[in-house]
Amino acid sequence: MAASSTSGSGRDIGGSGGGLAAGEMEVEAYRRLFPLPFYERHLLDSVRPDARPLHRARDTSIALGPVASADGSALVKIGDTTMLAAIKLEVMTPSADAPDEGSLAIEFHMPPICSPIVRPGRPAEVAPVISKQLSDVIVSSGMINLKELSLISGKAAWMAYLDIYCLNADGSLFDAALLSAISSFSHLQIPLVSLSDDGRVVAVPGDLLEDKSTPELVNKERKLLLHSIPFSLTCILHKKYILADPTAEEESIMETSITVVLDSSERLVSIYKPGGSVLAHTSTVKDCIVLTKHRMKELQNILEDSLSAMEVV
Amino acid sequence: MATNPSTYALSQSSESKQRLQQRRRLFQETDWTRSDGRSFHQCRPAFLRTGATNAASGSAYAEFGVTKVIVSVFGPRESKKAMMYSGTGRLNCNVSYTTFSTPVRGQGSDHKEYSSMLHKALEGAIILETFPKTTVDVFALVLESGGGDLPVIITCASLALADAGIMMYDLVASVSVSCFGRNLVIDPTSEEEACQDGALMITCMPARNEVTQLTLTGEWTTAKINEAMELCLDACSKLAEVVRSCLKEAASG
Repeated sequence: MAASSTSGSGRDIGGSGGGLAAGEMEVEAYRRLFPLPFYERHLLDSVRPDARPLHRARDTSIALGPVASADGSALVKIGDTTMLAAIKLEVMTPSADAPDEGSLAIEFHMPPICSPIVRPGRPAEVAPVISKQLSDVIVSSGMINLKELSLISGKAAWMAYLDIYCLNADGSLFDAALLSAISSFSHLQIPLVSLSDDGRVVAVPGDLLEDKSTPELVNKERKLLLHSIPFSLTCILHKKYILADPTAEEESIMETSITVVLDSSERLVSIYKPGGSVLAHTSTVKDCIVLTKHRMKELQNILEDSLSAMEVV
Repeated sequence: MATNPSTYALSQSSESKQRLQQRRRLFQETDWTRSDGRSFHQCRPAFLRTGATNAASGSAYAEFGVTKVIVSVFGPRESKKAMMYSGTGRLNCNVSYTTFSTPVRGQGSDHKEYSSMLHKALEGAIILETFPKTTVDVFALVLESGGGDLPVIITCASLALADAGIMMYDLVASVSVSCFGRNLVIDPTSEEEACQDGALMITCMPARNEVTQLTLTGEWTTAKINEAMELCLDACSKLAEVVRSCLKEAASG
């Protein structure tokens, strides 16, 4: 695919590749030496080096419940980008200003295994940025009603720790992280708890549920009701082209990106365009929103499929 | 926001202490069944795959029972600027844990010593002369910790190094054994590790019959040590075969 478009014609290519005929060079070497002309040649034919059309996202899969010790977990792959998210619930005393609300703590980690640019002791700059974006989107989308995390008003509530680990960083990290976050919330099973005689909140093991002697349960609902789930799509803007769901290589070559987050009723949750050399026209932004709408339908189906597959098992 | 353990906490502490003591007593007896139904001299089934992280030069995923580990190898690449000139290559190792690797969040140990133990276990097997002036980075992430973490990390790291095409004298395999009273229990789970009297871990290159690392902790008799070493070395050579077949499988497509 890549070979036919670059080596076939053998004509001169402008820009930094000037003077060298593409056919005279190994494709792989050309790709490394002159990445931008390499990409632009592909874009002319409306195709990307991995054979995707410009607007298509990579294959996406969701596996629910890979972490046995967590209350909810999900492994998400978008192309080669892999995210592992897990939620652990702990009981805490709610704060005085919100006595009947639980809380969320969301953290995004990029361990050194995920990418050559991250080294131990020198964390990636993007990790805290994505962490913040994730908690902003999840809180502002209103997906989770924090009141549902309350156990006893003013006394006890759930603290949900969501930790997302990037296992393989190959572009569109925020999209994959958000998808893994919402998937693990859909998978979350809240443990049943009761009050012991000395006023402690204790977990009730499954086999004691039928037992008459077990004290009354504090909570009954095991599933969290998710209102309007947010889905996102990151696009690269380059000249007049819009490339959906970029790989790490594409992100490094063409620097302007825009991330659109829509919720399941197509309301806009967030648009994030962190600078970059391309100034987006309003029409471009509109195009990105339309692309995100299509992507949202796709992701909704994938999530529903994996949830129903879990129920069958 | 702070948890108040005296009144409201999801506590199982008194219960779990009792269970721990019960188990400890049980393990001292001559005959008991392991929680996963294995016999004393039976290892957990090993699942190994190469190519977990495509951004790395080589990588591997290992799953031994509950224990799940990913190792990525980067390089040989430029050494850090502050490093002195070196005619031989450098090996740099790092081991980290996810926050959800242990049952209770944030209560697991950091295992800071594992990074240097991994380094020492691999150092002897890698032909450092083949990549002078540069560094090979070996990074491990423990996704879930279920006992025998270090041996799994070491074995997985040697597979990742082979996947990265780093020259080695032989594959490295590592197995640990726990001692309970009169019994030797191979490849212990974390539950068993918590109650053991002593532990022995051997890392070796089976084809050359060379041991790169041996650690021994706790109470042992000489006879028991000999028996445990035999057991470990035998398991190591079998584990190395599993690793080798995984590499062959990956190479044949």
